[in-house]
Amino acid sequence: MSGFSFIAEKGWRCAACDLALEPRPVQINYLHSVFTVELLTCPGCGFALVPEELATGKMLEVEQLLEDK
Amino acid sequence: MPMNQEQLRELEALCVQEEAPFCVAACPLHLDVRGFMKCCAAGKWHEARKILDRGLPFPEIISRFCDAPCRPACKRGGPLGGALNIGLLERFCLSQTKSAWKAPKLPARKGKIAILGGGLSAMVAAVELSRKGFSTCLFTARPSLGGRLLDAEPPPLAALEQAAATLVGYGLEIVAGQPLELAVFTEESPAFDAFYLDLEEFAEAAPTCGFGEPVALTLALSRPGWFAGGQAKDRRFPVIQQAEDGRRAAVSIERVLQNASLTAERAKEGGYRSRLYTDISHIQPSGPIIPANPDRYTAEEAQAEAQRCLQCQCLECVKECVFLRQFKEYPKTMARKIFNTETIVQGTRSANKMINSCSLCGQCATICPNRFPLAETCLAMRQEMVRNGHMPPSAHEFALDDMAFSHSDACRLARHQPGKTTSRFLFYPGCQLAGSSPWQTQAVYQFLGEKLTGGVGLMLDCCGAPARWAGQAELFQQSLKRLAAEIRALGAPELICACATCGKLFREFLPETKVTSLWQTLDELPETPLPPLQSSGLSRTFALHDPCAARHQPEMRGAVRSLCAKLGLTLEEHDCSGERADCCGYGGLMSCANPPLAEQAAAVKRRRQGDKSTHIVYCAMCRDSLAAHGPTGHLLEYLFPQNTDDPAARPNPGYSARHENRARLKTRLLRELWREDRPEETTMVLFVSEEIRAQLEARHILEEDVRRVLADAEGKNRYLKNEAGHRLAGLRLRRVTYWVEYQPEGQGFRIHNAYSHRMILPEEQQ
Ligand code: SF4
Ligand code: SF4
Ligand code: SF4
Ligand SMILES: [Zn+2]
Repeated sequence: MSGFSFIAEKGWRCAACDLALEPRPVQINYLHSVFTVELLTCPGCGFALVPEELATGKMLEVEQLLEDK
Repeated sequence: MPMNQEQLRELEALCVQEEAPFCVAACPLHLDVRGFMKCCAAGKWHEARKILDRGLPFPEIISRFCDAPCRPACKRGGPLGGALNIGLLERFCLSQTKSAWKAPKLPARKGKIAILGGGLSAMVAAVELSRKGFSTCLFTARPSLGGRLLDAEPPPLAALEQAAATLVGYGLEIVAGQPLELAVFTEESPAFDAFYLDLEEFAEAAPTCGFGEPVALTLALSRPGWFAGGQAKDRRFPVIQQAEDGRRAAVSIERVLQNASLTAERAKEGGYRSRLYTDISHIQPSGPIIPANPDRYTAEEAQAEAQRCLQCQCLECVKECVFLRQFKEYPKTMARKIFNTETIVQGTRSANKMINSCSLCGQCATICPNRFPLAETCLAMRQEMVRNGHMPPSAHEFALDDMAFSHSDACRLARHQPGKTTSRFLFYPGCQLAGSSPWQTQAVYQFLGEKLTGGVGLMLDCCGAPARWAGQAELFQQSLKRLAAEIRALGAPELICACATCGKLFREFLPETKVTSLWQTLDELPETPLPPLQSSGLSRTFALHDPCAARHQPEMRGAVRSLCAKLGLTLEEHDCSGERADCCGYGGLMSCANPPLAEQAAAVKRRRQGDKSTHIVYCAMCRDSLAAHGPTGHLLEYLFPQNTDDPAARPNPGYSARHENRARLKTRLLRELWREDRPEETTMVLFVSEEIRAQLEARHILEEDVRRVLADAEGKNRYLKNEAGHRLAGLRLRRVTYWVEYQPEGQGFRIHNAYSHRMILPEEQQ
């Protein structure tokens, strides 16, 4: 999953900081494995958005792969 | 405890699917008759010929002379119309085809073998041994090969000539037409390492050599390295037995030359009785095809005859079970895969999904002639996976969380009847009935309270089945312990279980508790409870489905039928009811680990009754699973109708509603029956379209979890927003992060989307 970029999602702003999101590398992990993905993130507070297509697509695939290890 | 190889073999032996068909086992050479019939039935003569060439050493000779000991074993025999004419079909196939397959010659190996005699048994021994690379020499006093076959009318001269050519092609040296003195071969330090004596040619000479009689299993004579066969002292062998002897002797000689055991694992050489099981109860009789010319089929006749073959196999369990069909396995192959998973140290455990998809319903074992315990095998493996940390967290978590909720104070209740201080009975509706039909749960409880004397307590709880099915042995034990303590605290009353699964588990694991089913209790009441179906428009004929958990509870099944009869309901039964009942897809947490398969299971179960309008069940999970595929009502909904609507028309309420119903039921019962003040709960109002509701269900997201995400986001002002006015918030609850896209609307929120993931973001760490 490393190297994947999920910055296509448009139009979301952080409500608290009232800032537009920007792509940032984010480290996510599951069952002792760590991945770096590019996610839209609030530059103010760091709120990172996991879009639906990532959660129900690639992420789910990797989760299931790791669970069967 | 992990299985060991020996236990696996014992387990595997219970499944007879891989046993040879009856005809194949009875054939002394184990020709693949079933495969041959399949090709013939399809008119694939060349393919059929290949099977003959592989299975028979000299097909033209053996097919012509074989007296078909396979035939009496054929399953098609007797009342089903008559055994297949296997021999005539072989001959037809040979007449239509040229040789289609030749066994390859293997590289030369050490060992010199003398074959003494030229009859068929000698020829077969010679072909097997020379083909395998042994230096083999055949001696016969006669001018050519064939022995007594040459006496046949007409003699099979062409076939014998061809056989000789084949043998020479494999490197056999033939010394024919010279007088043979056995003494030349029996002297000390002979030129050969092993000998086969064809008793057809040496009927007189052999007894004089003083090596005794051949041992039946190995054909060994008393002198090491010597074997004999092809005829008995007092009788001539049928041709096929000569061939069998030749092959048996070749196996023995090969073993002797390799210093291997002469006797190990030879039970299946020669004709034997197969252990295969083939159900013929549904087979229509069909008589043999009599050829117009008695000696010979036409192609059409041959094909038609072969089409009568039953293609014998077992697969009885697979025929009924969606799980086995989906994974394209039968219990024997599955047990092996499960075992192999256990031994994986690193790498992908590809059988996990399979192990977690079985509904543990035990239908297969009931059907299996040997009661293959596949459910127990899968369950034991799940327990092992939990123990060693290999259970995928996502497999059962949703159901286990739901169980934890049922076990929490929000839902749990254990009380004596209002106004009573002791209980003779304890009504135990089970978490699924309370979730699916809370209204009926209350109604039947009040009814029992009126009709039974001695006090009827109430226990709202979960029996722990999800933990048991998930392989969480410890969690299940904890839950049992707590339940047992609470039952004891109420004075150990007799449990009245509405759910077949609760009843089954309590009987098995709380043996000190007296357990009966709600249906027996109702059936034994002196007067029938409520007249069902007040409204005249509803049908009184129902297609009945038993739950899989009632498989071994015949009293409960009987009580349901008796109750229905008293109520004037006509029930339609089907084949897969009672002991053979299918699982609706909920059992074993199939619906959690493999939702599409569970859907299929429910559809299959419901289809057993065809498309009859109203289906009736007496298990809450069956009701909701089957309701997703068409009108299905719960018997209690007819006994205690909430209104005049057809109960069967009520859809599957789904996870969220079942979950919330349980908590609400407790509150309502405390208020209405025990007259307790319960604070009004203010729940956040959600507007959810049918489409989104279905998506939440499919994604295993509870509305309660949606509310928690929203409460957190709105409370902390922590969400994203876009120009459409939608908000998007995420929150990690337990081991899952939930994302909800929503929008304020009136007093509540409109839900646009929700999804989840298990991966952890940096901010969610800890
Ligand atoms: S029906 Fe076919 S497979 Fe079965 S025993 Fe007869 S020939 Fe063999
Ligand atoms: S789902 Fe039931 S019938 Fe199928 S394998 Fe499992 S226990 Fe056997
Ligand atoms: S019923 Fe199933 S498990 Fe039993 S012998 Fe037949 S194929 Fe094997
Ligand atoms: Zn921010």
